[in-house]
Amino acid sequence: MEYILQITPALLRGAGVTLGLFAVVLPLSLPLGFLTTLLQRCRFRPLAWLANGYVFVMRGTPLMLQLFFFYFGLPFVPWIGKYLTMAAFPCACVSFTLNYAAYFAEIFRGGLLSIDKGQYEASKVLGLSRAQTMLRVIVPQMIRVTLPSIGNEAITLVKDTALVTAIALPEILHYAKGAVTRDFTTAPFVVAAVIYLLINLVVALAFQQMERRFAYAGREGGGLR
Amino acid sequence: MSVIEVEGLQKSFGRLQVLKDISFQVEQGDCVAIIGPSGSGKSTLLRCLIELETADGGSIRIHGQLLVERGIYAPAAKTRPIIARMGMVFQQFNLYPHLNVVDNLELAPKLVKGLRGAELRGRSLELLHKVGLAEKASSFPGQLSGGQQQRVAIARALMMEPEILLFDEPTSALDPELTGEVLSVMKELARERMTMVVVTHEMGFARDAANRVLFMHDGCILEEGSPERIFSNPQRERTRVFLQSVL
Ligand SMILES: Nc1ncnc2c1ncn2[C@@H]1O[C@H](COP(=O)(O)OP(=O)(O)O)[C@@H](O)[C@H]1O
Ligand SMILES: [Mg+2]
Repeated sequence: MEYILQITPALLRGAGVTLGLFAVVLPLSLPLGFLTTLLQRCRFRPLAWLANGYVFVMRGTPLMLQLFFFYFGLPFVPWIGKYLTMAAFPCACVSFTLNYAAYFAEIFRGGLLSIDKGQYEASKVLGLSRAQTMLRVIVPQMIRVTLPSIGNEAITLVKDTALVTAIALPEILHYAKGAVTRDFTTAPFVVAAVIYLLINLVVALAFQQMERRFAYAGREGGGLR
Repeated sequence: MSVIEVEGLQKSFGRLQVLKDISFQVEQGDCVAIIGPSGSGKSTLLRCLIELETADGGSIRIHGQLLVERGIYAPAAKTRPIIARMGMVFQQFNLYPHLNVVDNLELAPKLVKGLRGAELRGRSLELLHKVGLAEKASSFPGQLSGGQQQRVAIARALMMEPEILLFDEPTSALDPELTGEVLSVMKELARERMTMVVVTHEMGFARDAANRVLFMHDGCILEEGSPERIFSNPQRERTRVFLQSVL
């Protein structure tokens, strides 16, 4: 017990990195993901191809590879490499944001597909512009449809932050592994697991709350507002 | 001047020609019922009038203003105000599920006309009262029956003060016992001389509320006339067969 209390402060310091990364990546990758979805639907085809290519690459390669690419790889790009050198934390933020935006783009794309075309037609007939239709009619419904999947990704994001230990960012797992190899005990891994679980419990509860707020009354379930 | 003038309207989906040379007029205060077997192009015709589909050929004039001339649409800056004079009620209601009834009514007037405050609220409550749903103002569409939803949809269309209302089978998605409440709202509008074009399978409505009936078959208007003429003395064999099948 005493030992656990002794190692916990270090692990909590690591949790600071996890939370920091989470707090930067989620608010940046959601709008970027939505922008990507809009570009994928863009009538100017080259932009749509670009967006599709971006999603394809980000989803088709390991996040760990992307992290290495941005941290170890970019500095070696001829000529401009020296301007692309980033410290570990900003670098992790950039690669995670780009990666998660691609996943969110796919989620939003599915969300938009699920919205009945009658919603667009009714809006057009009532005189709403395309932007007004998107903002006031489509997006609120899309958010409701996609919130459960977004919550799921948020939980994955918390766990994925463990990857940054590979670019020497000291997060939870980094301290836990250090303690295990130093003190020959499994306890630090258990403490690390508990910390991840606690963070994700909060994340899950937060999303549950938001789902409740975005639910609107209907026959198909969804609570009263 | 006719309120709606359609001349030689044509529309194809791929190789399927859905509208073949459609011509008709609608006068101020008319209630025109369009009847005909399913697949004959009734919805497509209605949707072309309000630019939910784009016609391939022919002309459409609304209040004398050209929407389409020989298959070519006026620029959006011109078609927008023309379309704004029309409202449409859909078979599937298409209410906004995330907004309550009042917000469904008020969204477009707010965004499009910049209306706000007591004047807007007064108007929406008045229209809800008119369709008999004053007490449902803060309900969500999902909490209403189909008939109630369709009446909200009619009120929502009326909020924009259209001069012409188009209805595409407004009662076809409803349980039979709920059609009456919607039809009586529509009859009330017809009595007030709202200009209406109604695609319907409700022959009772066509006979009682419409002053003109168009019978469509296979992309053409085969026959048109007063309800008495179409229902009691159809000239075409096709019309007779259709009426026998639905009456
Ligand atoms: N968007 C579309 N794409 C392809 N075919 C369509 C489309 N809309 C309607 N059609 C076809 O056009 C024909 C007429 O349809 P519609 O106007 O809906 O008839 P109605 O309303 O009289 O039942 C049908 O054969 C239908 O399958
Ligand atoms: Mg139809």
